[in-house]
Amino acid sequence: MELQPIFIQILSLAIFAVGIVVAISRRNIFFVLMGIELALNAVNLSFVGFAKTLPAELSVAGQIVPLFTIAIAAAEACVGFAMVILIFRNRESVDADTYSNMRG
Amino acid sequence: MLSLIYFIVLGLIALGAAVCVLLSRHPLYGALSLVVSMVSLAGIYGLLGSPFLGVVQIMVYAGAIMMLVTFVIMVLNGARDSKTPMFDKVSLFIFPAVIVLAGLIGFALVRAPLAFDATTLRGSVALTSQTLFDVAQTGPGYFILFEILGLLLLSAMVAAVLMAKKRLGSVESENTEGNH
Repeated sequence: MELQPIFIQILSLAIFAVGIVVAISRRNIFFVLMGIELALNAVNLSFVGFAKTLPAELSVAGQIVPLFTIAIAAAEACVGFAMVILIFRNRESVDADTYSNMRG
Repeated sequence: MLSLIYFIVLGLIALGAAVCVLLSRHPLYGALSLVVSMVSLAGIYGLLGSPFLGVVQIMVYAGAIMMLVTFVIMVLNGARDSKTPMFDKVSLFIFPAVIVLAGLIGFALVRAPLAFDATTLRGSVALTSQTLFDVAQTGPGYFILFEILGLLLLSAMVAAVLMAKKRLGSVESENTEGNH
């Protein structure tokens, strides 16, 4: 039995689901950001998996777009952790429930 | 056959590390599990024939971004709230909702006819850079996106520095200056 494209998509879907669960259900703010990173990774894998099902010239786009996604994820992590540092200085807590009141 | 074995091993490592992120209590252990997950995903990219993407994944994701994450966790002492419960009652509704969502998407994926194309191009460094920096008028035009991405990263860096620095002249910074 050879490697099938559907296996890649199923793996990508499983990692995406775990990432969403981490991002929504964990209370620690670091885990929320790490869950978002995990979901972004899964989408990159899905892009590459679908690119390999396309013929010659079309398959390049699916291998270029993840590069942009990775760079945007870097920018997102940069700004996100700056915001975490800023809020942490006010609240002295990493529990996301204490951030629910945003009145400064 | 061999590629399937490699894929199963790397996929199990990636998925297991992702589950470790979900179940770990200390954020630093979660970050290290995330590094393992990203490195094995880079191996899958290489297996699928996109070696350049795998290298970028290791350098940028597992290197730069996770370095930032572990650095911030260590600076802020993120384990301080480790006594609060990891999950609350809302999580009870999230698990079935995500499982149902994954089941629906998986059903749609399984029904779709997918097959590897034999003429797929290998995403080597030469091909990727030629496509990315193809400035011909009839080209794909990725170089404009690339330059916009440079602007985005610069503005993100400036925003992060502006947000995370101590305000000069504020009570907080004057107190720390007085202590020194």
